[in-house]
Amino acid sequence: MKRLWRIGSVVALGALLAWPAGAGAFQSEGTVRIGAMWALSGPGAFFGKSSHGLASLAIDEINEAGGLVVGGKRVKMQLYAEDDACNPEQGLAVVRRLATVDKVLFSLGPSCSSVAEPVFGTLQKRLDDPGDTGLQLLFFTDTATKFGLAKLSPWVFRNTPDEPAMYDFVVKYLKENYPDLKTVMVAYESDFAHSASTWKLALQPALERHKYHQVVEVVDWRWLDNEFGAQVAKLRRANADIYFSLTHTPSTCPSFRELHRQRVKPRIIIGVTSIAAGEVLRQCPDVAEGLIAPSNFAPITAKAKQVADKAWERYSADSHIHSVPAYENVHLMKVLIEKAGIKNTEESLLEDRRKVRDLLARVGTFQGVVGKIKMNPDDHPVRPRDVDKDMILVQVKSAKWTVFWLPANLKQN
Amino acid sequence: MPRILLDATEQLLNGLMYGSLYALIGGGFTILFGVMRKLNLAYGSTIMAGAYVSLIPFYLFGVPAWVMLLSSIAGAVAVGFLVELVCFRFLRKGHELAPLLTTIGMLIVIDEAIVHATGAVGLEYARPFGEESLAWGPFLVRPDYLAILVAALVCFSLIFFLIHRTRLGRAMRAVAERPQAAQILGVSLRRINVLTFALTSALAGVIGFFAVVSVGAARPEMAVWLTGKGLVVTVLGGLGSLRGAILGGLLLGVLEFETMWFLGTSYRDILAFLLLFAILVVRPAGLAGARAT
Repeated sequence: MKRLWRIGSVVALGALLAWPAGAGAFQSEGTVRIGAMWALSGPGAFFGKSSHGLASLAIDEINEAGGLVVGGKRVKMQLYAEDDACNPEQGLAVVRRLATVDKVLFSLGPSCSSVAEPVFGTLQKRLDDPGDTGLQLLFFTDTATKFGLAKLSPWVFRNTPDEPAMYDFVVKYLKENYPDLKTVMVAYESDFAHSASTWKLALQPALERHKYHQVVEVVDWRWLDNEFGAQVAKLRRANADIYFSLTHTPSTCPSFRELHRQRVKPRIIIGVTSIAAGEVLRQCPDVAEGLIAPSNFAPITAKAKQVADKAWERYSADSHIHSVPAYENVHLMKVLIEKAGIKNTEESLLEDRRKVRDLLARVGTFQGVVGKIKMNPDDHPVRPRDVDKDMILVQVKSAKWTVFWLPANLKQN
Repeated sequence: MPRILLDATEQLLNGLMYGSLYALIGGGFTILFGVMRKLNLAYGSTIMAGAYVSLIPFYLFGVPAWVMLLSSIAGAVAVGFLVELVCFRFLRKGHELAPLLTTIGMLIVIDEAIVHATGAVGLEYARPFGEESLAWGPFLVRPDYLAILVAALVCFSLIFFLIHRTRLGRAMRAVAERPQAAQILGVSLRRINVLTFALTSALAGVIGFFAVVSVGAARPEMAVWLTGKGLVVTVLGGLGSLRGAILGGLLLGVLEFETMWFLGTSYRDILAFLLLFAILVVRPAGLAGARAT
């Protein structure tokens, strides 16, 4: 009897785990399935959780306004958010689940470029090629930023920052507005793809292109390191005018404290794009004072402030350069799904994904939270399926992110 | 003094001070292993849990640092008892690998519980030792590192006193060396195990406070870092040897600082593990471990 009970329990548990999440959904149940894979646990969870919060807010807004119209019927958006823990192996398992078990129409995420690279590698490379058996799942990425990821598959679209262009602008801006500041020192995280690629693929080429600044010291550390004494001592000795801190909050705050302790006082400090979020203000507002960061988001308009406040109230989610695109992507996809004429059935899933993909490839310019965003088409020579959007420079002042520089077409209100 | 010598001396001082934190972590691992002959891989999480508990009175009432230190000790002891109960007490004898798995599981559970409770955001911690380094001639010395060194001296003095000068310490040594004989002589193994857990967990509370003070913010992923350093120091010094843990911690600290200064971060872990391999080849029982019989 005991044995039978054990076998029964195992079978029941197995059935529960294997049962497709939300089985019986689609048009007949009045839902459209939206997938997402983010780092919801582990050290990268700060990014994943904030994207999750902003996407959930957008879905709430759509559903509270009555949902979306598919085939003449109002249906609700339903989010299937999976945790890839910023781990490539887990990401590969999750993408299969999203495509074949959750059966989502499209997916947001992932958070980490190190996950995005192998995951996008499993997608179909050539549309309409029956010999290409890669997954036909549309990704509309909000966070994974590494240059060139959208080229990996025609199923990948990204609403992420164009960091080479951003740092090119920063170097040019410094050259024109602070001509007396010529020496540069740099710190980056050698084990964090985003940080290392910002230095090697964005900032270093920009400094070489403009041929104005002299790099006098480059130090690196690991993004979860806790001790920075030796590297900061090197920065102290370099004593450069401009310090590029291409590091994320876990190493930025303690390294800034070490700079303060060792009395290192660069005239200007420029951060990595991801630093322009609430985390650094909660951990080290005092030593981050004056830090400037290139970003695509700051709560500069009434709409942006409202989104940031609601995301924090409902989901304790931080609105920043990587999470706000999740909000924008959901709202854009709502419009495209309504236009695409999908059937929203299990049988029509592949066909539906393709219709939405093709519309997204032709969307052109759409409205973001702070300005217009332009999606590059499939045949863009350099950055297909990536976006161009306005860049802002933000600065920490009195424990708040404030606008340091805005392009002429954006106005603060 | 030539510049290279000045640099090497400054990194030596930093390495010794920071290495004393490594020595404390290794000490916690090794005391438990010495008495119970089992590795507690959830020790890093116990350290972090203590630090996070101390944040509660800090954020709610803005308490002074000494209250945070006491809360960290109390929190770590509570979590330590939980680890003992869940991961060790009910495991049958003869399954030596079981505690490894249960404590790895506990490490992950505690870590993820903190991630969920805090939204994975690091939380600013108290800075009771100020923000300015002290200038000692040509050297800059961090006051919090000095405090770590003093804390390590105090903790190890108390632990050596407890182990070598008290009845409890005698019983612990007896259980460590001849558990069955100790039992026959009336020593309760369970009581000694629980008290050892209490002692090492209280030490974890002290480590948690000073480790997080030195970083300036509490972050859940620090638990994995603490576990890694603790294991290296314990094996380097010799499993079960407190003197070995002190030696191993200081050696690792100095090696890391000198490597980061002269070679860069990427060589830090390579050299640390090469040293570990070399020492294990020459002295398989570690720097101060008992010789194999």
